[in-house]
Amino acid sequence: MTGQDAPARRIAWGHLALVTALAAGVLAYLIEARAVSLSPHNLLLLQPTAILVLALWAVIAWGCVRRTAGASQDGPEGTWPERLKVGAMVGAFALYIAGLETIGYDVAAWAFVLAGLAIGGERRPLMLVLFPPAFAAGVILAFKAMIPYPLTTAIL
Amino acid sequence: MIDLPAAGSALSLLSSSLDAWIWVVPGLLIGLVFGAIPGVSVSMAMALVLPATLYMDFLPAIIFLTSVYTGAGFGGSVPAVLMGIPGTSSAVATTFDGYPMARQGRHNEALGAALFASCIGVLLSYMVLFVLVQPLAEMVLKMGPFEMVAVGIWGMVLLGSLGGTSVSRGLFAAGLGVLFGTVGMNTAGYMRGTLGIPWLLDGIPTIPAMVGLLAASQLFALVNTRFLVEAEEDRRISLARILDGGRLVLRHPGTMLRGALIGALIGATPGVGSSISNLLSYAETKRTAPDGHTFGQGNPKGVIASESANSSSEGGAMATMLALGIPGGGATAILLAAFAMHNVVGGPRFIDQNRDIVYAIILSNFAQALLLTVIGTGFVFVASAIVRVQLRILIPCVLVVATMGAFAIEGSSAGPITLLAFAVLGWQLSRYGYPVAAVVVGLLLGRLIETELLRAYQIAGGNALEILNHPVALTIFALMLASLAVSVWNERRGRRAADAITE
Repeated sequence: MTGQDAPARRIAWGHLALVTALAAGVLAYLIEARAVSLSPHNLLLLQPTAILVLALWAVIAWGCVRRTAGASQDGPEGTWPERLKVGAMVGAFALYIAGLETIGYDVAAWAFVLAGLAIGGERRPLMLVLFPPAFAAGVILAFKAMIPYPLTTAIL
Repeated sequence: MIDLPAAGSALSLLSSSLDAWIWVVPGLLIGLVFGAIPGVSVSMAMALVLPATLYMDFLPAIIFLTSVYTGAGFGGSVPAVLMGIPGTSSAVATTFDGYPMARQGRHNEALGAALFASCIGVLLSYMVLFVLVQPLAEMVLKMGPFEMVAVGIWGMVLLGSLGGTSVSRGLFAAGLGVLFGTVGMNTAGYMRGTLGIPWLLDGIPTIPAMVGLLAASQLFALVNTRFLVEAEEDRRISLARILDGGRLVLRHPGTMLRGALIGALIGATPGVGSSISNLLSYAETKRTAPDGHTFGQGNPKGVIASESANSSSEGGAMATMLALGIPGGGATAILLAAFAMHNVVGGPRFIDQNRDIVYAIILSNFAQALLLTVIGTGFVFVASAIVRVQLRILIPCVLVVATMGAFAIEGSSAGPITLLAFAVLGWQLSRYGYPVAAVVVGLLLGRLIETELLRAYQIAGGNALEILNHPVALTIFALMLASLAVSVWNERRGRRAADAITE
């Protein structure tokens, strides 16, 4: 490859942020574990693995900084509306989990299925009105019958 | 090895008792349905039907429970193939190639291969049990911490092969998984990484984390897709193609046999069982296959390797339970509970005094495996209809069922919270090309290796040379190194051949 057509370098910020955040978590875990005890009984597997992960972070981060534009596997694909749709689904799922114990598993399931259908592009009114409560009721009642633990519900 | 008079009386026991047979089909169906629900484990399905066995005679009760066991063992592979959700840890490796096959429109073949591999796996493992129940159980007693570390490290070698194109990303993901596996209180009593959350003392809930990593993260990535199988003509559900999948199993007898052997041996080891055997079998098959580079992209041999191993673990686990009275996992613990409900104590004395009943249980399982091929085919036919459902409906529904399954396993919101955390992590990791499966394998093996490594360290008093006194562990290491050497040699030979062709 000649110097003229060498591809431009572009830092993969998203990838770098993810791998750095994970490595920071690993470092914090290692520090916390070492604070608990320096005994081999505590660090036998944990410490060497954490050091290996941190060393790999350096390799990957260097790759992110030195990345050439157009390199494969270097980031999310899709148009902005598509990415927004995925983000909305992840957000709705997070809200669903957060709401399970407060609004009840039944109402949360109904609301999440409704939101999920809407995000996915479902526009038929009957489907939006009838399917979410029917599905939520079916699942909640089935699990209620199966599991021995109490389940927080608002209606069922 | 086979006590022929006892086998004869087992046959007459089975042929004269209608009760022993009428519960087989309902048991298989219950197992299939419950096993296919993400989050409902084999042991949970068996626990649910356990009270019903109280009023049955001993033999029908055990046959009913083992039917549920056999059915659920395969049932778990249905969501693994169709949605990439390993309902139980024993179906993790099934997702590696089963789900890509489903996405390519080969869901019929994948499910057919999984079904037939499961049925043959059960058959083979019970054959081993029929012949070798006593020696197998005695061998299990020789599996100490050194041997378990060897098994765990053998599994970890798989992590290298899950790395895909980037070794550093594969190892990074695997390292993360191992570290997740060490969170909580270890066997030496040290608490790490709990963040003050009480339920993390027992470690990260494995199954919700696995479902989050492998399935929920994939579902997020499918939000902009219309159907699981894009091409309309591939969405057809075809009995002929399901049977074609079955024929694929017969075309790869080596993969099948290796999986069944690994499954029976590892399954017999208490506390390990099918969750490790499917990974080991997959790893070994991938390493020795000439088309190993296509694993993870929809190679049916991956499905066969995983399913033959996880289903044959049943026979192995039964050997330990019947011969030693030790439950290898939740399912055999429930069987022992059923023994106790009928005032029967499992163990060496039970085998000696009731060999005819032991043989009757084994023979009934042969019949169960054969019946499963028929009932399972019908079940697969119905379950495959999921590929015709639009993803905008399927995604929220599957996420709700997975959440409820996560709750059902943990009995608290710990399950759903773990599911969410790992779904987001898995989604982010797969966006940047990290092999999420490596995190799962690390998570599964991390805790096992740490626990056994600690025990070995304590026994050896820190002296690494103590391993020389453990021939079984040395044999496992030697086998692992030999298998690695063979695969490296094969790879080199393949590369030379490819170079020769290009020249």
